Amino acid sequence: MRLHLVELILFNTYAELRAEAARSYLGLVWWVLEPAMMMGAFWLVFDVILHTGGPDYVPFLLIGITVWQWMKSCITHGGYAIWGNLGMVRQVPLPPLVFPLVAMLSDTVKFAFIFALLLVILWSMGYPPNAAYWGLVPLFASVFLAGAGAGFIVAALVPLVPDLRFVIEQVLTVVMFLSGVVFPLTQVPDRLRWMMDFNPVAVVMADARGILMHAQLPNWVGLYKVALISISACIAGVLFVRHLAPRFPKLAS
Amino acid sequence: MGEALVELEHVGIAFSSGRNIGGGRFWALEDVSLRLDQGDRLGVIGRNGAGKSTLLRVIAGILSPDRGRIRRARVSCQLLALALGFVPHLSGRDNAILSGLLLGLRRREITARLPAIREFSELGAFFEEPIATYSAGMNMRLAFSVAMQAEPDVLLIDEVLSVGDAAFQEKSRAAMRERTGEGRTIVLVSHDEEQIRDRCNRVVWIEHGRSVLEGSRDEVFAAYHRHSAMEAPR
Repeated sequence: MRLHLVELILFNTYAELRAEAARSYLGLVWWVLEPAMMMGAFWLVFDVILHTGGPDYVPFLLIGITVWQWMKSCITHGGYAIWGNLGMVRQVPLPPLVFPLVAMLSDTVKFAFIFALLLVILWSMGYPPNAAYWGLVPLFASVFLAGAGAGFIVAALVPLVPDLRFVIEQVLTVVMFLSGVVFPLTQVPDRLRWMMDFNPVAVVMADARGILMHAQLPNWVGLYKVALISISACIAGVLFVRHLAPRFPKLAS
Repeated sequence: MGEALVELEHVGIAFSSGRNIGGGRFWALEDVSLRLDQGDRLGVIGRNGAGKSTLLRVIAGILSPDRGRIRRARVSCQLLALALGFVPHLSGRDNAILSGLLLGLRRREITARLPAIREFSELGAFFEEPIATYSAGMNMRLAFSVAMQAEPDVLLIDEVLSVGDAAFQEKSRAAMRERTGEGRTIVLVSHDEEQIRDRCNRVVWIEHGRSVLEGSRDEVFAAYHRHSAMEAPR
């Protein structure tokens, strides 16, 4: 049974990626073009117009947006996956966690492509490969767990209250601005700085830039806290989905 | 009497009646009891809205009871579903694999059956093309060919299907007969009395979400017809 579910999740992920590439005129190009357009918009506003970027702003922004978009898409796509597959939930006795997992895995594959491109850009800008790259493994594991934990909790709630989608988009926008994704947190007033230490997204942003731009290993204590929060969120999310699973096929269309 | 494959005792199922605040629930099944043994070919009869399709989804394990209880032996109960999980931009081959996995088959099982699916569906080279390019008839032929690959211990059917043109209809009818013949355990919902008489040895009659009578085919049909005659406007 478990092996069958693994096969189903992996093939479904392949099917989702393949179908997504076939749905649009430019296909796979959008996997890179969409984040590139977002990066361009922030660069225009914060660097060109407001001059708040600083000398390393372009790599700072590229890394921030790339990692953030991955985490955010795990939360939103994974979070909306059960709700979006209620038709299937009514037809097949599958564990509902299959749907968010497929969405998160396909977003992770897309992230892998974008990240490979990011590395090439960083190398060409004078930030060569370095010995701290191995720190990306625990860092990315923490980012995925954080996205998955939040995504599972959202996935449990959205089928019951679909209106939450509108709130979640706004909350994630606020989190992005409070996490040093598009501007350095050094610009945050001292009296508010303490809040950033409790923000797991801010921790992983700083660590990702430390590794890729300055060859610094992650702040292990901070990363340990992030992993602990993320694993707790994952466990809570899985239990929450499993608890609510009997209600999903009985929801009104 | 040995252990039943599936046994329902006073099962009730409530659905949400809306998504808005204060939306209540309605009971699609109120009180249903039945027993399914190995080799039973159980027909489910009743009027529209009686809860027949909901009952199939309870037996399939999709819906869990809000009251009463269900006991299921370690058997697979599969609802016969056409075009399950089909994605328009994927090829017939990829859709067959995806649908087969959703129907409970392992990847190696569905891969081994791909040549048979391709042949039965009569799609030829179109099997490798996206199903978005298929006609409705081609789509149904592929859907039926894949659905026929599932071999659960208990097959649950919501109306017997035959799809495609006249020749394919005959082929699909033969495949269905083979899947629902003696020795198989099936639960069949149908409005067609002939189909139930033809394929089932036992019948349960559902009325307003309650099981009214369960027994031999002739006994239940006789009671059902007496009831319908009494209810008919004079």
